[in-house]
Amino acid sequence: MSAIKRLFGIVWTLMGVGIIPLVIMQAMKEIAAKPSEENWIFWSIVIVVLMPIISFSLITFGVFALKGEYDVIA
Amino acid sequence: MAQNVTNVSQTEEVSSTRRVIAASSVGTLIEWYDFYIFGTLAKIISEQFFPKDNPTAALLATLATFAAGFVIRPFGALFFGRLGDLIGRKYTFLVTLVIMGGSTFAIGLVPGYKTIGFFAPAIVFVLRLLQGLALGGEYGGAATYVAEHSPAGQRGFWTSFIQTTATLGLFLALGVILIVRQTLGVETFSDWGWRIPFLLSALLVGVSVFIRMKMSESPMFVKMKKEGKTSANPLAESFKQKDNLKMVLIALLGATAGQGVVWYTGQFYALSFLQNTCNVEFVQSNMIISIALLIGTPFFVVFGALSDKIGRKYIMMAGMLIAVLSYGPLYNSMYDNANLKNKIEIVEKTTVETKEAVKGTDNITTTVTKKTFTDGTTYKETQKLTVPLDEAKKAELAAAGKLKPETKKETTLSDSIKNKMIGIVLIQVIFVTMVYGPIAAFLVEIFPTRIRYTSMSLPYHIGNGVFGGLVPLIATRLVEASKEPGYSNPLTNAINSFTGHIGTPAGQVDPLAGLMYPILIASVSFIIGMLYISNKTNNMDVE
Repeated sequence: MSAIKRLFGIVWTLMGVGIIPLVIMQAMKEIAAKPSEENWIFWSIVIVVLMPIISFSLITFGVFALKGEYDVIA
Repeated sequence: MAQNVTNVSQTEEVSSTRRVIAASSVGTLIEWYDFYIFGTLAKIISEQFFPKDNPTAALLATLATFAAGFVIRPFGALFFGRLGDLIGRKYTFLVTLVIMGGSTFAIGLVPGYKTIGFFAPAIVFVLRLLQGLALGGEYGGAATYVAEHSPAGQRGFWTSFIQTTATLGLFLALGVILIVRQTLGVETFSDWGWRIPFLLSALLVGVSVFIRMKMSESPMFVKMKKEGKTSANPLAESFKQKDNLKMVLIALLGATAGQGVVWYTGQFYALSFLQNTCNVEFVQSNMIISIALLIGTPFFVVFGALSDKIGRKYIMMAGMLIAVLSYGPLYNSMYDNANLKNKIEIVEKTTVETKEAVKGTDNITTTVTKKTFTDGTTYKETQKLTVPLDEAKKAELAAAGKLKPETKKETTLSDSIKNKMIGIVLIQVIFVTMVYGPIAAFLVEIFPTRIRYTSMSLPYHIGNGVFGGLVPLIATRLVEASKEPGYSNPLTNAINSFTGHIGTPAGQVDPLAGLMYPILIASVSFIIGMLYISNKTNNMDVE
C-alpha cells in the first residue's frame, strides 16, 4: 500500500504542475477569441483563486506522499 | 443508590449536550440562512445592483459576487479560527454571528443602481465579503464547540446536528422567499419585497445572540487555558508544522473538496438546473428543492451516527463515488422529464395573447403564449418587446441588433412529474448527507485542541467555499461553452450512446456539460480519500 501511495504522489505532483500551463493556455485562447468582460471575470477567478489552490495543494501533497509522509496515517 | 447517581449524572450530561447543540445549531442555521438568501435571489440582485445592458454580464457579476462570498471564506476561517484558538470558541462565534447579521440586514437597505449608481454594487460587494468572512469563522467554531462538548463515541452523532444547519438554512431561505413572494405578488417582490428576507435577519440574529450569550465556553478550551497550553501562534502551528500541514492537505484534497462539490451540485446546481435549463417555474422549482431538502435532512444525523459505528471514511467515500457515477443519469432524467419535446401538446388549448402599451418613451408589446400538454404539464412563454417611440432611436437600436424581445419561459410540471423530480433531487440530497454528515467529526478528530479551530476551518472553507462555491459559476460557463462548434463531452456521449439519444446538435446547449466540474473534483477527492485517509471512528483523542 505504501508503494502505491508513493507512486500516486508522482501523479498528484504532475497534475499540480500540469494544470498551470493548461489553464493559462485555455484562458488566453478563450480571451483572445472573445475578449468580453464575462470572459475576463471568469478566467480571473479561475487563475487567481482556483488554480493556485489546486496547484499548490496537489504539488505539496504529492511531494509529501512521494516522500512517504503518508505511509502511516495516525 | 450509586446507580441512581450515575443515571442522574448521565441524564444531566445528555441534557446539557442537547442545550449546547440547540444553541450552536440555531446560530449556525441563521448564518447559513443569511448567506443563502443572497445566492437564491441572485437574479433579482443582479437586476437591482448591476447595469442591465447585458443581462448575462449582470448575472455573471452577481455570481462573481456570490463566488467572492465563498472565496473570502477561507480568510474568515484563518482570521476567526486564530481568534477562536487564542481567546476561545464562544466569543469568536458570537462576533461572527453579529457581523453576518449586520451585513445581511444592511444589504436589505442598500439603494439600487438606479438611485446611487456604481456605489450600489460596490457596497453590496463589500457587504457580501463581510458575510463570507463571518461564515468562514462560524462553522469551525460551532463544529469545534459541539465536538468538545460531545461524549467520545458519539461525536459523529452530535456534530451531525451542526451539519443539518447548512441545508436547513437553505430550506429556511427558500421558504421565507417563497412566502414573501406569494404574499406580496411577483412584481412587488421584484421591486422591493426581496429586501424583506434580508431585513428579517436582524430579528433572527438578535434571538440567536441572546441564546449564545448564555452558553459557557468549551470545557476543553477552558481546561487548556487554565493549564497554559493554548497555542501562541495557531496559524504558524497549523500550517508551518509539517505534521499539521499534512493533515490539512489530506482533509482538503481527500474529503472537503469532494464533499463541497457534491454539496453544491445536489442542492444549488439542482435548483439552477431546474430553473435555467429545464425552465421550471420559480415557485415549483423552489418547492421541489425544498421538499427534497426537508425529507433528506434527517439523513445527516443517520450518517453522522452511523459514522460512530463504522467509521467516517467509507460513508463519505461511498457518497462521493455514487454521486460521480449517478450524476449523469440523474440529470439526464431531470432534463428528459421536463423536456417539452417529449410531451404531446393539446393544440386546441394553446392560446396566444398580445398586448400593446405605451410606457414613457417606449412602446411595449407583450405576447403571452400558453400551452397545455397531455400529461398535465403547462408552458407559458412571455415575450416583451420594447421599442422606442422616437424613430431615430428605434433605427439606431435596430441597426445595433438590440431590438430583440426579452423572453421568459416557464414550465409548470404535472404533479406526477413534479414528484419524480422531488425523488431525483432527494437522491442527490442523500449523497450530500453521506459526504457531509460525518465530516465535522472527521475534521475535529484529526487536529489537536490547541489549533483545532484554525486547522479545521481552512480546509473546510476551501473545500466547501472555493471548490463547492464555484460550482454554479463554472457549471454555467461549461454549459455556455457547449454551444461552441467542435464541442464534445464524454459524459453526454456516454449517456447518449446508452440511451440512444442522437447527441447535442452544434450551436445547442449540452445540458449535462456543467456536471463535468463536480464529477472531476469528486473523482480526484475519492481516489485521494480512499488511498490516504484512515477509517478510524472516534479513536483519536479529542483532548
